[in-house]
Amino acid sequence: MAFDEIFQPLHFRNLTVKNRIFRSNISGRFDNEDGSLTQTRINWESKFAHGGVGAIISSYVPVLMEGRIIAGYATVHRDDFIPLWAKLGEVIHGLDSKFIMQLSHSGRQMDFPGVHNLARKTLSSTSNKETLHGFLTQAMSKADIDHTIAAFARGAWRAREAGLDGVELHAANGYLFSQFMSSGINDRKDEYGGPLENRARFLLNVIEAIRGAVGRDFHLQVKLSAVDHNNVVPWEKPGNTLEDTVQIAKWAEAAGADAIHVSQGSLFPHPLNPPGDLSLETLTTTYDAMISSGVNGMRNYMLFRYPFLRPIFHWAWFRMKKGKPVEGVNLEEARVIKQAVSIPVLCTGGFQSASFICDALKTGAVDGVSIARSLVANNDLVQQWAAGHDRPPKPCTYCNRCLVSAMKNPMGCYDQSRYPDRETMIEEVMSVYRAHAPMVAPSKAVMST
Amino acid sequence: MSDINTPFSAVQIYLAKRRWKLNLALLTVLVLTLLGLAAVIVAITLAFELGGSKTPKYAADPQHFMHASIGAEANSGLPYWMWKALPKLFPAEFKGRDDYKAFGFLYETDANGNESDLPVGISKRQVYGVDVVWFNCATCHVGTWRTAAGGPQHITPGMGSNNFNLYAFIQFLLAAGADERLSPDTMIPAMKQAGAHFNPIQEAFLRYAVLPQVREGLVERRSRLGPLLDAQPAWGPGRVDTFNPYKLLLQLPPGSHVPDAELVGTTEFPAIFDQRPREGMQLHWDGNNNSLAERNLSAAIGAGVTAASVDHPAIDRDAAWLMDLKPPASPYHPDPAAVARGQAIYMQGCASCHGWQGANGYVFQGAALGKVDPIAQVGTDPNRLNSYTQGFRDWQVSALFAGTPYHFTHFVKTDGYANLPLDGLWLRAPYLHNGSVPTLADLLAPPAERPKSFLRGSDVIDPVKGGFVAPPCPVGPASTGAAPADGFCFDTAQRGNGAQGHAYGTDLPAAQKADLLAYLLTF
Repeated sequence: MAFDEIFQPLHFRNLTVKNRIFRSNISGRFDNEDGSLTQTRINWESKFAHGGVGAIISSYVPVLMEGRIIAGYATVHRDDFIPLWAKLGEVIHGLDSKFIMQLSHSGRQMDFPGVHNLARKTLSSTSNKETLHGFLTQAMSKADIDHTIAAFARGAWRAREAGLDGVELHAANGYLFSQFMSSGINDRKDEYGGPLENRARFLLNVIEAIRGAVGRDFHLQVKLSAVDHNNVVPWEKPGNTLEDTVQIAKWAEAAGADAIHVSQGSLFPHPLNPPGDLSLETLTTTYDAMISSGVNGMRNYMLFRYPFLRPIFHWAWFRMKKGKPVEGVNLEEARVIKQAVSIPVLCTGGFQSASFICDALKTGAVDGVSIARSLVANNDLVQQWAAGHDRPPKPCTYCNRCLVSAMKNPMGCYDQSRYPDRETMIEEVMSVYRAHAPMVAPSKAVMST
Repeated sequence: MSDINTPFSAVQIYLAKRRWKLNLALLTVLVLTLLGLAAVIVAITLAFELGGSKTPKYAADPQHFMHASIGAEANSGLPYWMWKALPKLFPAEFKGRDDYKAFGFLYETDANGNESDLPVGISKRQVYGVDVVWFNCATCHVGTWRTAAGGPQHITPGMGSNNFNLYAFIQFLLAAGADERLSPDTMIPAMKQAGAHFNPIQEAFLRYAVLPQVREGLVERRSRLGPLLDAQPAWGPGRVDTFNPYKLLLQLPPGSHVPDAELVGTTEFPAIFDQRPREGMQLHWDGNNNSLAERNLSAAIGAGVTAASVDHPAIDRDAAWLMDLKPPASPYHPDPAAVARGQAIYMQGCASCHGWQGANGYVFQGAALGKVDPIAQVGTDPNRLNSYTQGFRDWQVSALFAGTPYHFTHFVKTDGYANLPLDGLWLRAPYLHNGSVPTLADLLAPPAERPKSFLRGSDVIDPVKGGFVAPPCPVGPASTGAAPADGFCFDTAQRGNGAQGHAYGTDLPAAQKADLLAYLLTF
């Protein structure tokens, strides 16, 4: 088989995945406002299982409603959601793929508070506002921290109860774990702030609690930002270095993590994650949905909306990309981390070429790669590689229109240049809704709870 | 019930708090802006107030009298550069000249023979930063004489303005107000052609504020004065209707007409020599005021001042200078014996009313000097007397300068004409209050034999008859006779122009009349 390295199974301590390709965490607002998942979510994840990925890492799954990032994404904060997740796991397994639930908490990076969170500030390591959108924040008390650790443990337990194949802690990209770990964000004076070991304490306590809840034989991986690059807003501090992250990865391994998943950046989106372009014009049609989420919303919207202001944002955003590749943007950092740990290391960041991935695997930079946008563009990317194509004939262009459309529109590829026409594009995006679940009459008991 | 607009999202609550600070900052900026604006307005107003009254000063009293402002410009005047531009825009009315001589204005010449920029009687003052010109006392009280046609012209302050055709000048301005040549698009280039330089702000101020306001003022004046002037016989040079325009401009509500009984009040511009002895006399032709100060201020209103714009110190300086201004000596040299005989006749029949010319000057004495003789007794044209009414007098004393030290109190309604001192008599022609008798000799003729019509406007002394050369002229439709050079045919048959009355001395034998005339020529 062509690109043989890709199609070698990957053995984790508690999990074996049939190949080295992981669908990275990505989804759309496909689920219900109360956090229960839907048939659409099953349709979405099935697209990638059909396409041949070894495992699917869910999009972020909040362990508490107060930790939602975007309302309308499935959560795992209630036991009665276990059967719903079980159904999803069953479908994915039936398609010969694995399903890893990414346990998440937004912290202060809450893009769409939804009706549950609209009236309260988000919890974080700090009371400082989120820097890009101006999301309002309240520093967590120790009780809050304990409550949240327990929620992660309970979330992992629910994933295991649902028969899923593992969990990933979303400790990258600026969410709650990042907010504790990053020296650019964490300004606490207690045992969760200050030196790196204090800042890592929240993550390590969560790993410990999960192990306490699910035992030693349930797959647990941790996604880390190799470098924070926290100064996208130019007056912010840069945050953690690669050296800091290597140390955290070692501590995570020692605490019981089965793998490390490498990303970049202490906020999301970030100029380096997902790497590629940014359509300010598209933002003028979507960011308006976020204006009321933060106190800087209107400012940002004007920066996007008015062409004469766009150079300001363009400068701040694109200055960090200089000299960086798109495909494998995090690969060298991942290689450093892999050399420091003995557990498998995954890496995300623009992967789309089979040969490039094979090189990464062969040179021991990583044990597997995770892909989001290239799989959204070509759900069957893995099968195309298996058929011998190094790159798909219509590759992802890294335009990031999928990213900036997410606030308003169903997740999908919005690069019209990849389609014969706009109608075809819309039809493709809407295909996620195509399979309709059977409609049933709800029982009185269901409606009254 | 809670307010439906009470913020409930964390972001909105935060923004509401921040908005308070923002609003305070905006309010502060707004208040500071308003204060700044107010300061600018105050500064501009002050600049206008302080800079707006700038007017040239003159060291010599005669120059002050002829050229200094008395404060008439703000209310009645024309922008200086419009004054300069009008002759270029209306060549027909100005008879192709670049000055105002067509209307009888006088220009002095310097040692090099250059004419003054502005004529005698036209003063300049800054109003809201704009140079504006208009009348002063000299407009109506500076005349000329010469001993022979083509001889040197003597400009004589204090003499009635025998050349100035005020009627024609006003008619011209009222017509020009409605003429498209006064539009900014035409006027501003003409002003520049006349030598003006404007910066863009000045030009905009001119275009959008000054010129429209001037035109508006002219149109309004036309509305008020036009019907009166059209109904009156043309005044001709050297004459004015003092009170009727005054009624229409100041007293009566818009749209009013002067009643027919009062319609014509046209008289000579009087000579104003030697005012000191006149204090307490009944002044004006009908003797309606015996206060020099009130008479002066009332005349200034006629020139265009208002209570707000009047320059009292300037008027006071004129008044002080006029106190002892003597008329130039008579150029006549009649036979001394005849003069002596004539004086005897005069002392018997005339001196008690008019005073007399003594060896050392004029003697302002006489039982009836400066008093009013009833119209029935003097018998001259009654129109001027009738134009000044009790009602107008009552308005004058109640409204003009009310609440100020200058409040009028001395005006009265009389029943005749005042007996005037005759100092400088040789410069007072044509004679009688309405200028209806051209020479002294004619005045000594029985009214029925006096000229029925004669040419006004000459400043050449009649060597025999006294007064100015005034040949007969064909009577026809009243001429508006713009230029003195063309003359103006004065028709005594026109209303207000009657040459009847004052028959004193008309029945003297011819020899005695000649003697009396000889004496009168020495005044």
